[in-house]
Amino acid sequence: MTFSQADLPHIKWSLITFLVVLAIGGSAVFYSQKQASSAQNTRRAAQQELSNERNKLNAARDDQMNMAEYTKEYSAIQQRGVIGDEQRLNLIEGLDNLRRQNRVLDFKYAIAPQQPYKPAPALDSGNFDLKYSNMKLQIDLLHEEQLINFFDSLRHEMKGWFILEKCTLDKAQGTDAQLKAACEGGWLTLKNRNAK
Amino acid sequence: MSRKILFFLSSDNFHAQVWKNGAISKASYFPNSTEGLEQLSDFLQTHRDPAYVLVDLIEEDFRHEVVPHLTGANYQALVQRKFDQYYRSTPFRLASRQRRQSDGRRDDEMLFSALTNPARISAWLDLLLLNETPIVGIYSLPHASIPLVNEIENDHLLLLSWERDAGLRQSYYFNKRLRFSRLTPLNPGNSFADAVATETARTYQYLQSLSLTPQGEQLQVYIICHDSDKAHLDTHLPASHNMRYAYLDLQQLGKRLKAKNTYTDSDATPLFLHLVATRTPGANYATAQHTHFYQLWQTKRGLFALAAITALVCIAWSALSFMDSSNVQTEIESLTAQSRRLTEETQHITQGFRNNNNLLNPDGSTVQASDMKTAVTLFRRLQNYSVPPQQILEGLTATLDNFPRIRTGKLGWQMTDVPGNGSSGTYPAQVMTFNGELTDFGNDYRDALNYLERFQLTLTQAGYTVTPIKLPLDFSSQGSISGDINEASDKPAEFSLKIIWRPKE
Repeated sequence: MTFSQADLPHIKWSLITFLVVLAIGGSAVFYSQKQASSAQNTRRAAQQELSNERNKLNAARDDQMNMAEYTKEYSAIQQRGVIGDEQRLNLIEGLDNLRRQNRVLDFKYAIAPQQPYKPAPALDSGNFDLKYSNMKLQIDLLHEEQLINFFDSLRHEMKGWFILEKCTLDKAQGTDAQLKAACEGGWLTLKNRNAK
Repeated sequence: MSRKILFFLSSDNFHAQVWKNGAISKASYFPNSTEGLEQLSDFLQTHRDPAYVLVDLIEEDFRHEVVPHLTGANYQALVQRKFDQYYRSTPFRLASRQRRQSDGRRDDEMLFSALTNPARISAWLDLLLLNETPIVGIYSLPHASIPLVNEIENDHLLLLSWERDAGLRQSYYFNKRLRFSRLTPLNPGNSFADAVATETARTYQYLQSLSLTPQGEQLQVYIICHDSDKAHLDTHLPASHNMRYAYLDLQQLGKRLKAKNTYTDSDATPLFLHLVATRTPGANYATAQHTHFYQLWQTKRGLFALAAITALVCIAWSALSFMDSSNVQTEIESLTAQSRRLTEETQHITQGFRNNNNLLNPDGSTVQASDMKTAVTLFRRLQNYSVPPQQILEGLTATLDNFPRIRTGKLGWQMTDVPGNGSSGTYPAQVMTFNGELTDFGNDYRDALNYLERFQLTLTQAGYTVTPIKLPLDFSSQGSISGDINEASDKPAEFSLKIIWRPKE
């Protein structure tokens, strides 16, 4: 069968009806699908929100437990000056105190500018940036025990946290000292990124 | 069921009847005159339903031919050639492929037929087309009878029917395939039974001349008639050894075909009109031009149907989507309520922190418990990175106290995590280089080596990993050794060891 333009009036109303139904029906389907799709997206968002809230609650419960467990220890570390900005004045005063105590015959130190610290093996430091100020020490000793006592004092009597990286102990020549120690390490601080 | 308009055209009459749900209305006759055409035009204005035109005319010709089996364009060309050959002057022509022969070239048996006097139908048809009547087809009575014949088991069949406005129609079917048909008008003085008796005899003679009569058996003549005419026919039809008569009761036939009309005499016109309306033959004389408005009518109906289906599908689809959205919305409300409860619980817990936590960051903000945990855990682990010298050296010092013949020279240690350099654990190891001297061993190298070996073994037992770097004497086969008998024997022997200390995890 062939159609010509002259046939159009015969099928005009049926064609218009079909097109109108198609347009209205298509719009209804499009709108309902859009609604359904929007509802699905909202549901996904709500599920995500619920998951986030659940995680937050779990974190809060963990925090609640942590609070009791870690407050005391955190307070001690904070008191020690490990958390926050480096307190160089405390370091110098501490080292001068050590010198006055004559734990060793003599010692010289050199503290370098603070640098980011990357522990090896690596550690997850969470919200904290690890900072490290390298310190080189030249120590005159009468005997090995003095070196051990010196670092023991450095650890327990000074504020801050010193990491001893390496040490060399050798016989001294031409001085009162029997031994010379060349040691290197650094002062570590933990800086919370969220705290300005 | 929709309405149908049925037109019946005979030599002298043209009438229309409306078919609806198996019932046919009273006929509206249209005289073959200007007035009749006007009446028809008026009729068509009020009847826009699909129209079926049934013709019962003397001027219908049948030609049975055997042609080569062809398909597609070749078949069309053959049919066109035959039409041009036999029926050049009429557009109302029909080619029916009746069967394909089973032997020989397997040719086709064709029946070509045509309404040879188009003027009989053209005037009416033109008016139908002028009124844009949706003509389904133009059917002739012999072709329309085929559904009746198919129900009769007989190879040689002569079917007789009487149409009031046309006359006595005799159609011969061989193996249920139409071979020829003839219409005889009834004279007013002749009874139905007399006409049947006379005309069947003539038809038999004609069939005999065409060698179509059955050999050794009687020709079965089926007469469609009213029950009231049966007895009359029985008495008037002569006994013949060539033909055997049987009757098809018009009322019973109508009932079987689900026609709802009551037949008062033997006029079979309503039956055939019903047959055309309900069992419309595929073959008909209408051309594409004639059925054009029916095609448009079908397209129109199709579009309405499509619109209805589209509307239903869209409504169903939209309804399902809205239901789905509604269900999802309920779920969202539940999820949101759960989230709100969790948020409130979290806030309740964190509020408790603020009340109990006095620790502050440098900026004055409260220290988060999670940060506390991180800092403490981190600090605990970092302690393994800063081991006091006492812890590293105490094992070595204690061992040296038990080996007085070993004198310490230079001692160094370094934290390392480099694989193969002494570290393989979670925390860094300390690698020591111990340079020492062995004294008082004289020339007894074996004793000196054994002493040093015991020293190493003791260090290993203390938890160190010991690797000799340099021994007092290289006693391997690759080394060179020299000695002087007069050389002093109390010279100390230097050695060097690599000692690894690992923190206990």
